[in-house]
Amino acid sequence: MSVFMDLNVLFSPDRNRLQGVIETAAHLGFSTVAINYVFEPSSKKKQVIPVPCPISELIDQLPVVQGRSRPIRVLNRLTVLMSDSSHFRPSAPEYRRFDLLAVQPTTEKLFHAACMLYDVDIVCISVTEKLPFIFKRAPINGAVERGVVFEVSYSAAIRDATMRRYTIANAVCLMDSCKGKNVILSSAAEKALELRGPYDVTNLGLLFGLSDGDAKEAVSSTCRAVLLHAGNKYYSTSTASTTGSTAMSTTAMCADQSVCVQRPGGRPVGSSTPAGSSRRRCTTQTVGSDSPEQVAAAAAGGDLCVFTWTGEAPAAKKTRSDD
Amino acid sequence: MHAVDQKEESVFQRVVLKNASPFHYMKVHLVLENETTRLTAVELKHFIISGLKTLHGEVGAALNVDVLKYDDDTLTALLRVSSRGLVKLWSSLTLLGSYQNQACAFRVLQVSPFLLALSGNSRELQLD
Repeated sequence: MSVFMDLNVLFSPDRNRLQGVIETAAHLGFSTVAINYVFEPSSKKKQVIPVPCPISELIDQLPVVQGRSRPIRVLNRLTVLMSDSSHFRPSAPEYRRFDLLAVQPTTEKLFHAACMLYDVDIVCISVTEKLPFIFKRAPINGAVERGVVFEVSYSAAIRDATMRRYTIANAVCLMDSCKGKNVILSSAAEKALELRGPYDVTNLGLLFGLSDGDAKEAVSSTCRAVLLHAGNKYYSTSTASTTGSTAMSTTAMCADQSVCVQRPGGRPVGSSTPAGSSRRRCTTQTVGSDSPEQVAAAAAGGDLCVFTWTGEAPAAKKTRSDD
Repeated sequence: MHAVDQKEESVFQRVVLKNASPFHYMKVHLVLENETTRLTAVELKHFIISGLKTLHGEVGAALNVDVLKYDDDTLTALLRVSSRGLVKLWSSLTLLGSYQNQACAFRVLQVSPFLLALSGNSRELQLD
């Protein structure tokens, strides 16, 4: 299952240009693209966090991804450039409008805080300047445990030779410290010509010091892990109806990437919404049905589900469906 | 280089070939900002070598890259490189951003150690 994603496409007010970028991304084979709104708060004057434009306004007909039959999926993402700890307010309601939340720290203390404490999905590594601080193992391991990923963008390397040096230097430094885990590679493309295909980006990962498997994961599975970590609303289960003697339980992937197990009989074991982070939802629903059509309907909803038979059926039947 | 791996108990025999082919072949397409620009084969090769030199220096520029076929209407080329140099060539093609002050992108269509594999492309298959 290699669903390629590019989680950093810079937002530009020019509709045509953004449309061109999304079409190129679909043609190159990316199944998901996230439009990045960069927000740089300054302590001097009050700044308003940008409101994401609804996707239907940006582009009328989402292009179909090359090689698949589904249209490309477009998400919204916010990146906060932090130079001070007051810049990121942990539970601001404006953040909830975005599907993904990223932060780019500029000092060592902020990096440590972003990795260990803040409720973010992505920590961006700056590629336009020499690294202001050295990566330490402790916050990186903490981030890996929490499910936070590190992002390296490559389009600066395409534009300018000096940026190329900084990108490669910073990326190699990161890979040394994190050993290739929890890394995503993305373009920060402003134009369609700055995008590169998924296998090209995988090859760039090799250049940065990732192993073959890690480099491919950086474009595919780790990106998907980020979406699941963000409690993406596409991935929560929806309908539930309980009837009949055979009850099937569905489980959804939890925010911390461990599957909630339901004991037969419908009572969830140890699954609960983590307190204080309402952005992530871990929902378990019991769907009872006697007909295979309902099973197929729930499975076709695109959710990640594990079906277990309870009741008289002797065999445990498991189907997994995801996009 | 050739390594043979054998299982004792059954008649099953697995043969693993490492680097069986000394060359890798790439089919690439150059996309330019100004779509009417045309390059000759010599200009294209010079452009590729300059990209290698920018990213990997003289050692990269010394890599044996051959342009086997070039279609100057569609700007599609078939390149051959020794297998050791594939990552270097591919990464320098990826990071090439401008040709004579206009933005460009190399779209790599196919990569294979066998030239025969490049004759068909399932991505451009038209199913009726």
